[in-house]
Amino acid sequence: MQLQGLIDAAVAEVGSVLLGKEAQIRLALCCLFSRGHLLIEDLPGMGKTTLSHALADVLGLSWKRVQFTSDLLPADILGVSIYNRSDASFSFHPGPIFTQLLLADEINRTTPRTQSALLEAMAERQVTVEGETRPLPDPFFVIATQNPVHQSGTYPLPESQLDRFLMRLELGYPHPRAERQMFERGHNSGAERVVLARRISDEQLRQIRSRAATVHASDNLLDYLQRLVAYTRSSAEFAVGLSPRGALALLDCARTWAVMHNREHLVPEDLQMVLPAVAAHRLVPAGDYAGDGMALVELLRREVDVIRP
Amino acid sequence: MNPGQQIPRNALVWIILCLFTLVAPHAGRLPVWVLAVYLFAAAWRTMVYQGRWSFPGRLVKAGLTIASCVGIYLSYGSLIGLEPTIALLLTAFALKLIELHQRKDAYVLLFLGYFICITEFLFSQDLPMVAYALVNVILVTTALVALHRPGEHQFNRKTVRLASILVLQSLPLMLVLFFLFPRIGPLWTVPIKSHTARTGVSDFMRPGDISRLGKSDEVAFRVQFEGAIPPPSALYWRGLVFSRQEEGAWRSLRYYDIPPAERRQAPVATPGEPLSYRVIMEPTQQNWLYSLRYARSESPGVMSSADFLLFSPGVLEDERMYQVHSWPEAVLDPTLTDWRREMELRLPPGENPQALALARQLRAAAIDDAQLVDAVLAMFTEQSFGYTLEPPLLPMDNQVDAFLFDSRRGFCEHFASAFVTLMRAAGVPARVVAGYQGGEINPLNRTVIVHQFDAHAWAEVWLEGEGWVRVDPTAAVSPQRIEWGLEQAMQAEGTFLSDSPLSPLRYRGINWLNTLRLRYDDLTWRWQSWVVGFDRERQFQLLNTVFDGISARKFMLVLLASGLLVLGPVAFSLLWRARRRDTSEADRCYLLFCERLARAGVVREAGEPPGRFAARAAAQLREAGDEICRITGLYEQLAYAGDTSPQRQQAALLALRRAVRRFRSNPRTA
Repeated sequence: MQLQGLIDAAVAEVGSVLLGKEAQIRLALCCLFSRGHLLIEDLPGMGKTTLSHALADVLGLSWKRVQFTSDLLPADILGVSIYNRSDASFSFHPGPIFTQLLLADEINRTTPRTQSALLEAMAERQVTVEGETRPLPDPFFVIATQNPVHQSGTYPLPESQLDRFLMRLELGYPHPRAERQMFERGHNSGAERVVLARRISDEQLRQIRSRAATVHASDNLLDYLQRLVAYTRSSAEFAVGLSPRGALALLDCARTWAVMHNREHLVPEDLQMVLPAVAAHRLVPAGDYAGDGMALVELLRREVDVIRP
Repeated sequence: MNPGQQIPRNALVWIILCLFTLVAPHAGRLPVWVLAVYLFAAAWRTMVYQGRWSFPGRLVKAGLTIASCVGIYLSYGSLIGLEPTIALLLTAFALKLIELHQRKDAYVLLFLGYFICITEFLFSQDLPMVAYALVNVILVTTALVALHRPGEHQFNRKTVRLASILVLQSLPLMLVLFFLFPRIGPLWTVPIKSHTARTGVSDFMRPGDISRLGKSDEVAFRVQFEGAIPPPSALYWRGLVFSRQEEGAWRSLRYYDIPPAERRQAPVATPGEPLSYRVIMEPTQQNWLYSLRYARSESPGVMSSADFLLFSPGVLEDERMYQVHSWPEAVLDPTLTDWRREMELRLPPGENPQALALARQLRAAAIDDAQLVDAVLAMFTEQSFGYTLEPPLLPMDNQVDAFLFDSRRGFCEHFASAFVTLMRAAGVPARVVAGYQGGEINPLNRTVIVHQFDAHAWAEVWLEGEGWVRVDPTAAVSPQRIEWGLEQAMQAEGTFLSDSPLSPLRYRGINWLNTLRLRYDDLTWRWQSWVVGFDRERQFQLLNTVFDGISARKFMLVLLASGLLVLGPVAFSLLWRARRRDTSEADRCYLLFCERLARAGVVREAGEPPGRFAARAAAQLREAGDEICRITGLYEQLAYAGDTSPQRQQAALLALRRAVRRFRSNPRTA
């Protein structure tokens, strides 16, 4: 099937600049195909910008970047109306948000006010400035990055805001072999950016999305999903379980994942593969529980059996 | 540590609480330092919880273990025996607290807690103790529940409620086991408790012994009559017969002093209908049993002596119930053997010269033995003898003389002893009988409660043609004692229970208090007769009456049926719930397949999806790899792909079933 080859080619293309991160690349693509936004939580210099740039290239999307700072205002992102003396009217100057792929860098360094302006635009896929509503381009995809919250001078996103990101990824340090390869190639930050070839056309993107909507989810699978969700809500280790929105996000991503792996029905692996990225940031451990969201996902995966016992 | 294995704070609070409630009933018996170990262990564990101290190292633990063993040895002089063993167990229990790392340690500790709860019953089986044990069981269960509910407030009411429900749910099973579980004889015996005081009438009698008992309001035994209760003046509960005098005390004949021919009871004619009654004795650590004369008992472990008394071969360490028939009119020993006559006439040589002279004088004046008895009793009545709970101390020698001619004030033992001495001196065989007289009737359940203050001593004289006749010199001095009991007799003196101001018996005048006391006594009676006294014989009796004759086979059937009755509904509901989950045919086939793979050495991990498992299994069992993938593919098609028609589903299911069945025929192919 050509779709499979298409996606493999796209992954390989991105992988040529972001070495040894195939799993994260696939998840990022999955998030994009599922019309979601992506939050990358990692230290600086791990390849967040490279990833977003590469994704924009292979999908042929327009790309903009906003560096979030503590004095950034909503208007700096959304745009402003400026009085134009020549024709005596206000004209709207769109902000950087009017792009197909926006890299919102270090989103937790700006004030909650600006954060919520971005998040609102992400959810609505439109911007209302001075009473006028302007739609954002389609596809619209935000990759926000966040420093690990223990760094000082940050406004960590509250759980309710985290829920708006379909996935959260951690890139992590590269594999030693990949890092060695990187050294040998001699990439450095000052060099000219490598522009990647476009691999997926708008038509193909639409096709992927429409196919994802038709992926079959059997009773057994929905049952498994429901047991997963029920476990997060009833088990003592969880302070906050998965919301219905979280459960739907899980199902949507799993469907896209199935399409990406050329299947017309969902299997439990699909759910399990997207589970850490989709669920970890939506789960809050109970006060006594020593682990974080990832540990909770691991617990969930272990405790809820695929086949009803 | 795996976070799922840590002990939550709320459970820790309950565990420490349990520790202290479990040791509390033992506190009085334990050396003080063991209690200090409890405080120390609790403090240490709390400090560990707060992160200020760490768990003890291997060496410290070994040191503590050895130190406790040495401590127990020094405190008890031994490591063997009931009390040292329990002290050791309790110390270990406390020390276990400071190695409470994980959940599994808490399980060990709490399951041991249930066991420690039982050890309380080795010392007391009273109702309050049972209630306390129930509280303890609920507490331990609460701690177990809390262990599985991390993140809760420590004193969550729901946790306690769930634990209580669990304990209540176990009650039907407990009843079945109680009534039906075979009472197997002890496989090992616990050594006698060394520190328990012997209570009640003792095996010798010195002046002052019984008046000391007269100050105690403890219950000695309870009796339930079938039919009417005889008047209090007829209730002479015989316990011991004192025939020899030695070192200023009255004592029983030693068994080995009795010639073999005299050891058996002489035959007694039993005319008319007997009095039938059931006695439940409190533990005395002695071996005689109380009964009205002339008593026979068919209860097991009850024997009769040559003195027409009942006794038990072993000492009474626990409550003891026995059934008695008594013939008050029966003639005991119509003829006296020479040996017996000699024993019952013997007096310590050279003592009490004045009494001996008095006896000779009375003998000369009396026509026969019966008149002699009357004369002595008349002497007690007419001369100014006083009945008192606080008799003056008598000198060691010539006690009877001192009493008869000097102090003239005494309790029943003084009168009985003086009377028997006079009788023997006058040539009439006589002996002292010790036991209890009278008793309080509980109108609620028609039982007679005999207290320690009902302890009494009286005399028996042997008269030609009448055998042993009961003579109570106390009745001559203080008729109220016999008719109305000690309280009435001591009204003027005001000494009744004067040493125990809190005894509810002192406030019998207050109506509601008295009713409350009698109700509680009724409860104790029921508890003792139904639960504590439910031994092998009672069990057999009960089953015999309920099932109209019992055989081993029938008993097995009853046991199985009642087990089924209790566990059946539980099993049914569990199975039904499992059925309702309706694992589909395909799931069942696949799980069977997983079982077969597990037997071949590849186990599906928790939460592992079929596809990934198949890949892993195929890599491990290379030869069967294709088949594993095919079966998994079939299952995935059935379970997850919904686009096939029913016919194709059916075909796939058939294929899956066949493939799984065939897969069994070649396990371990790889």
